[in-house]
Amino acid sequence: MSRLGSASGYRRRKRQQENMRKEITWKEIKYQKTLIIWAILFVIYGFIFYYLPLGGWLMAFQNYKAKTGLFGSEFVGLSKFKWLFNDESFWNTVRNTLGMGIINLVTSFIMAIVFAILLNEVKSTGPKKVVQTISYLPHFLSWIVVTGILQDALSSTGIINEVLMKVGILDQPFNFFLQPKLFWPIVAFANLWKETGWNAIIYLAAITAIDPELYEAAEIDGAGRWQKIKNITLPGIKSTIMILLLMNAGNVLNAGFELQYLLENGAIVDWSRTIDIYVLKWGVSQNDFSLGTAAGIFKSVVSIGIIVVANELAKRTGEERLF
Amino acid sequence: MNFKRVVSVLCAATMVAAAVSGCTPKNGNGAGAGAGGDADRDDLVIRDYADDEIVDWTFFGGMPGAEINDGNEVQEIIAHKTGVRVKETWLTGQTVEEAVGAIIASEDYPVFIDGGDGMQMLYEADALIPWDEYIEKYPNIKELYSPAEWDKFRQADGHIYWCNQFTNTYGESKQTTHNDEAFWVQARVLEWAGYPTIETLDDYFKLLEDYAAANPDGEEGLIPYTMLCEDWRYFCIENAPQFLDGYPNDGSVIVDSSSGKPTIVDYNTTDTAKRYFAKLNEEYGKKMIDPEFATQTYDQYIAKLSNGNVLGMCDQWWDFAFTVNDVFKQTGLDKKGCNYIPLGLTIDKGMDQMWHTYGDTQNVASGLGVTIACDDPDRAFAFINNLLDQDIHNLRFWGEKDVDYLVDDQGLFYRTDDMRNKASDTEYKASHLCKYSYFPQWGGTSRDGINAMMPEEQTSDFFAGLAQPVIDCFEAYGASTYPDMIGSTKDKEVGVWFPMYSYSNNMNTSTPGGTAWQKMGECKHKYLPQIVMASDFESAWSEYMTAYEACDPQSFLDEMQEELDRRIKAAAEAEAE
Repeated sequence: MSRLGSASGYRRRKRQQENMRKEITWKEIKYQKTLIIWAILFVIYGFIFYYLPLGGWLMAFQNYKAKTGLFGSEFVGLSKFKWLFNDESFWNTVRNTLGMGIINLVTSFIMAIVFAILLNEVKSTGPKKVVQTISYLPHFLSWIVVTGILQDALSSTGIINEVLMKVGILDQPFNFFLQPKLFWPIVAFANLWKETGWNAIIYLAAITAIDPELYEAAEIDGAGRWQKIKNITLPGIKSTIMILLLMNAGNVLNAGFELQYLLENGAIVDWSRTIDIYVLKWGVSQNDFSLGTAAGIFKSVVSIGIIVVANELAKRTGEERLF
Repeated sequence: MNFKRVVSVLCAATMVAAAVSGCTPKNGNGAGAGAGGDADRDDLVIRDYADDEIVDWTFFGGMPGAEINDGNEVQEIIAHKTGVRVKETWLTGQTVEEAVGAIIASEDYPVFIDGGDGMQMLYEADALIPWDEYIEKYPNIKELYSPAEWDKFRQADGHIYWCNQFTNTYGESKQTTHNDEAFWVQARVLEWAGYPTIETLDDYFKLLEDYAAANPDGEEGLIPYTMLCEDWRYFCIENAPQFLDGYPNDGSVIVDSSSGKPTIVDYNTTDTAKRYFAKLNEEYGKKMIDPEFATQTYDQYIAKLSNGNVLGMCDQWWDFAFTVNDVFKQTGLDKKGCNYIPLGLTIDKGMDQMWHTYGDTQNVASGLGVTIACDDPDRAFAFINNLLDQDIHNLRFWGEKDVDYLVDDQGLFYRTDDMRNKASDTEYKASHLCKYSYFPQWGGTSRDGINAMMPEEQTSDFFAGLAQPVIDCFEAYGASTYPDMIGSTKDKEVGVWFPMYSYSNNMNTSTPGGTAWQKMGECKHKYLPQIVMASDFESAWSEYMTAYEACDPQSFLDEMQEELDRRIKAAAEAEAE
């Protein structure tokens, strides 16, 4: 696997593909017609659900009113974007989104791999299954429930404050939700708690795909547990790791909506609000769909940028990549 | 190609086709379809309707509310008399503008809607059916407002799209509660202090401090004072300065007529505002203010109040009393004097105050609208008309005769203690009572000339239901009802423009003033809790003022001044006619 993933390996594969390229003939088309019909269906699906809605981006250049619709609203050029980029609170939301997105990406990514490897090292199936089930169950809770748990746990009469006071670290309750600097860690923690078990599943699957003979061979060579992890498990799931990292990089700007929305309050709003909430507050609830669309476009463009850069980096270092 | 393949391809194609058709915009333009020309319809009047004649409609209320059970008994009675059953859903977890924005974007309208501060958005989206012809057609609707008052509801295009449901008094006013804002204090605190005269903010906090220090009941977790800062309810911390200066509730600004020409004044930047927040800051330092005030949600706030732990707060009666008083009644805390008594405070001694608004405040910013999702507007307006019929109105607010209230031989409605207790029981309310509380309604005297339109305004019932500590308190201050406890707009006339919030509530980012209004709101949300908690008040205040000025409040004030002038002019013209 890792051999194919190297840069020279990739070039070799590409050359082979080029040599193998066939002429497109009617016979070939007829032979593959089922496949082609399926492909066309998905192209249609993609067009309708991914490309057609992009027509709505026109709104960003209009002063859109629901009354006049997309075709009757007045065009205002880039003025919505100008308004947006001149709004200081918008840049705060960009910073928050990136900040929380990156923290979430890094922590959840590392924790999931570590957790998967640890779980893989548990040899008896019973406890392993139990731990795995318990760990991914929070994934099925909705954010509103998770928020409720967080609010209760961190409130002035919640368990965290109680414990800290009993131990003597605090002499009066500490209000966690009033600290701008604590908001990002709280969000990261909630994400970890909810998603680590779930995210680990895919790595566990990748680990299962590693040839057991490799481990046996390593054992015969006298490799310990740590060395097996370092030299077999990690390289074995490297391509999975890279692909997931790339895909998740595109999601950095989807740093979250529900959690931040439900936890925010006036005192820390400068550090808690994400782009999505900004779109809701200024776009939907102020009836300014144009402004909301402009912010949405900005977000998409940045996301595409991040993916392209990450992909290019992967390419340069000769790793697996998306395109 | 074998059969299986054909089937699977067909399946996929069907799925795509189904998905596509689900996307096409619904043609919700049934407006005007059945309007007029069918005077002999028999489904518009009150009669006995069979099950299959009843239509099921929907209502969305842009405020949190308690959903009633399906099959609610009074709802069924009303449905069988009017032929319409309305399923009510309420705002949960979002702000009203967000909810209304989402409804507009999805074009998934309920039949009836009260979009609160989002009504203007619905109007701009052409989502509402004009009321004009139906007002003429249905006498009970027409009766709600005078022609001049109806005119105030007219939008820019000259039509009426909604009507406010509340503060309409039929006949003589029977108001017994202070349905407005005040600094509230538990009756037991006043009793403990020997019913002192509390006039100023300083008196008030002195009282709370003394009681908290003495803590005669030895309670744990006593919270002398709390404030709600959540979302739009942050008025609890924000708008006290206008009252402390002796002005009535214009909501977003003060209208100062002392110089002859009514002028808009910003209450956020007055000396009184600064003194008020400095006082809060000082009290926070003394640990008199709930340390969680800045982050608590409405539910948490109501829970604290319901436990009887909070001695005082600044709030509107309707924002807490219905829930909290019912809980007190159920848990017996009302006997201990936990009920809240309103105090009309001012910043200095001896000032006039206008906390209570007598008479009908016409809030034209919001109300009940009928949307284009309604395919039979005639029947919808007939339903609103029928809900105002006296018998149906009694069903809505008093409940079922002989079950929820009794009638004596003079025709006076009365309730036993048991009935009153049931009426405040959440379970019972959900399964039995159906007020259609956000449909038009009357306060004041019933058409029978004896009773009040609503039980809480029935003087005899009001006193019978009052807890002893509250009665003692009223007696000590020489008052007989809540409004007597507090200064009001009764002695002083409010201006023809009153209330100004009916304009600012509907502002949005389409004007510079509206944008400023939105930004000022965000700025206050952020800074007000901070200045209360700041260790150095002066520097926190000046930082706040700098941030506040950056929001360009002047453009907001200018637009409010424009509206004020327009209202004065319109009122003068109406009078001339």
